[in-house]
Amino acid sequence: MNKNSIVDKTYYWIDETARNQALRLARTLSRRNFLSRLGMFLAGAATLPLLPVSRALSQEKVQEIGDPKSCDYWRYCAMGGALCTCCGGSITTCPPGSETSPITWVGTCRNPVDDRNYLMSYNDCCGKPVCRRCFCHNTERDRPVYFPSNAGSILWCFGTAERTYHCTVAVVLSEASTD
Amino acid sequence: MRVITFLSLCLAFSIADAQIQAQTMGPPETMPAPGPNWFMSVTEDAGYVFDASSGEMYGLIAISGHTPAVQPSMARREFYAAASYYSRGSYGERTDLLTIHDFENLSPVAEVDIPEKILALPFRGYIGLMSSGNFVGVANMNPAQSVSIVNVENRSFVTDISTPGCGLIMPVDNDGFMSLCGDGTLQLIQLDDAGNESNRVRSSPFFEIQEDPVYDRPRPTRSGWLLLSNAGKVFNVTTAGTRIDISEPWSIVTAEDAAEGWYPGGTQFHTIHKELELMYVAMHQGEQYTHHEPGTEIWVFDLAEQRRVASIELEIPAAMLMVTQEEKPLLIVGNTDGETHVYDALTFVHQRMIEGPKARLFEDL
Repeated sequence: MNKNSIVDKTYYWIDETARNQALRLARTLSRRNFLSRLGMFLAGAATLPLLPVSRALSQEKVQEIGDPKSCDYWRYCAMGGALCTCCGGSITTCPPGSETSPITWVGTCRNPVDDRNYLMSYNDCCGKPVCRRCFCHNTERDRPVYFPSNAGSILWCFGTAERTYHCTVAVVLSEASTD
Repeated sequence: MRVITFLSLCLAFSIADAQIQAQTMGPPETMPAPGPNWFMSVTEDAGYVFDASSGEMYGLIAISGHTPAVQPSMARREFYAAASYYSRGSYGERTDLLTIHDFENLSPVAEVDIPEKILALPFRGYIGLMSSGNFVGVANMNPAQSVSIVNVENRSFVTDISTPGCGLIMPVDNDGFMSLCGDGTLQLIQLDDAGNESNRVRSSPFFEIQEDPVYDRPRPTRSGWLLLSNAGKVFNVTTAGTRIDISEPWSIVTAEDAAEGWYPGGTQFHTIHKELELMYVAMHQGEQYTHHEPGTEIWVFDLAEQRRVASIELEIPAAMLMVTQEEKPLLIVGNTDGETHVYDALTFVHQRMIEGPKARLFEDL
């Protein structure tokens, strides 16, 4: 028996076995049952990354203390503007009907819980009147307006359909490298 | 008797009625010639014209809530205000304009469409009148920085000049303007007779943006501009042709002051009387990064001798200062309660409080 003959016989056995198994399944299961089980499998696979274990493995959660509606909250160390947390939004989401500016200024703030510095992105929410609540003017590492990336005294509603300023959120981008 | 009383009353009313002439409205006032110590208090929606000597108000110009500053031209008897407007108030179609207001009626008399990217927050350096008086520069950000040039003589938009890495407008001779740059340099751009860029030069670095940045609030001097750093270092800047001359720095804060934690700070926190070469600075005790804190004291410096000559303690901290350019100048002070106070700028005697809405900027007229 030469080598090619052995390979051909092996392929034939695999094909035959798969065909017989498929026919057996088709005889014992209805099509709806099959689709139902396939759907459950796919849904389960999609849900897997949402489980807490999965998230814990993929990223480290920043531990925080304090009141996100207070100007003293650690994330706001370089923030000038109205806190979206006081205006119907959250620390990372804009209030209803407003639009998140994709272009931001950044700051570096020290988290009192782990005593580490984090790079903050301050995103303005745009397209509504100024929310005149919880206005903060923190200037840690703030730079002049001619150096915009670190300047808090600029309205950052750029790249949005509407350009009027509403309020500001504070998003942790990453842990900052040491000074 | 009752009949006599009734007739007397009728007669009295009749006589009274005959003596009162019904008043009619006169034509609206027009502006008198501007006097010494006149200034404009720029608020969120209007520029109020006051006489600091008397506290009287003469009128106001309408501005947008997105107007960074108002540029007067007393030679042309006009005011220039760049502004964004939205068709539905806070949303809708955006229109950016340079609006020209006359002095006589404080009314808009012309509008020039400019690119829809002007900066909105109040910074005096976001608008500038060039030396010929024919061109106004307006600062833009989208977020690239640029300057729009408007010809106010023929009311037309000229051009948009890109200024990557640099911002603010400091007009100098020969229709040039300087800008401060994030790499610690100054940039000089010169315009031709049509208002287009004809030349551009850059200084050597003279400050470090991360260590001790120069404030974004430059003030004009008799010969150029004065730049102050967050820690109190002073640079005098002048131009000669295409050259930018930057003086050796000196500090408004002595070693003793620094040990006590004194810093300049506020919004419009320093002002200069050009002829007397006196600089008034709002000072506070704090630490690094408190550069927007208002002043608990006003320190007065002789710029020629580079030394402090007076200090004034304040009951309510001040964020804004403006000295009038008169022989006997007045110091206008905006405090954190939103009040506007007037002091004699040489004796520091309080003269009056001027009632009005909280100012964002003061402008000398």
